[in-house]
Amino acid sequence: MDMNDLEARFHQLSWKLHPDNFVKATAEERELALERGSQLNDAYRALRDPVARVEYLLAIEGMRKEGATKQQAPPELLEEVFELNESLDELRSARAEHQEGAEMAALRRRLEEAAKGFEERLAGVDEQLMAAAKDWDAALDSGDRAAGRAALGRMNEILNRRSYIRNLVRGVTQELAQE
Amino acid sequence: MAYSDKVVDHYNHPRNVGSLDKNDPTVGTGLVGAPECGDVMKLQMKINPETQVIEEAKFKTFGCGSAIASSSLATEWVKGKTVDEALAIKNTDIVRELALPPVKIHCSVLAEDAIKAAISDWKRKNATESERPAASSAAQS
Repeated sequence: MDMNDLEARFHQLSWKLHPDNFVKATAEERELALERGSQLNDAYRALRDPVARVEYLLAIEGMRKEGATKQQAPPELLEEVFELNESLDELRSARAEHQEGAEMAALRRRLEEAAKGFEERLAGVDEQLMAAAKDWDAALDSGDRAAGRAALGRMNEILNRRSYIRNLVRGVTQELAQE
Repeated sequence: MAYSDKVVDHYNHPRNVGSLDKNDPTVGTGLVGAPECGDVMKLQMKINPETQVIEEAKFKTFGCGSAIASSSLATEWVKGKTVDEALAIKNTDIVRELALPPVKIHCSVLAEDAIKAAISDWKRKNATESERPAASSAAQS
């Protein structure tokens, strides 16, 4: 997607819908301009970020509806997520008890290493997501519906993994920053 | 969004937090997660092989208050029940008991999944030859 084009169109439309242009308009027109303005902002937000764009695509394609289709968690990742969360808990309680020394340092080192690993994986997952998005674009162009569905399924599965990894990166970074 | 009193109570005083030995053949472990919010829930139960009664249940959940309350309640409910009775627990029962709002219904689904996962883990560990899918005899007939 051409980000400069997106930016330019967004500014152009924002300017058109700006309340200053509706000073002399009827109340109804002002109301409509405000409403369109807020829709425009939502659209821009969804389009500007590649991950938000995929989420939006999956939502309109019916792949991700709250409560409708149950999302599956990847089992091998769950195990890891659980263990890392336990280490985070350990670090928290060790800090609460003002523990110092070798054990605390080892715990921190383990978490730092884990965080680095997960950050790398987040980058990898993002790459996979963008590759699947390209497959989707190609399937749209060629009109291959089966390939399109397959790409959507892949994007959905990748997003599920991504949300765990992102939460972990966030959790560990926050915890390590508290010193 | 305000949590119901029951959710707050379970969150502040979670019942049965902890873990059981996952290598114990009478212990079933269920590890499940909700990708939408990145929650993980581990539920374990110790089941009497003679009576099929769940004698002990423990959980550990990393997630929001509703996820913690749902799993805490689930361990309370399954204790003393037979395996079949525990399998009959529905996520809607948990929703009703905790007065969960629609956006938190997936937490109750997670708890139901965890119960089922723990029981099927226990069943898998305890399946005797005759109970395993009879691949060889089916192939012969």
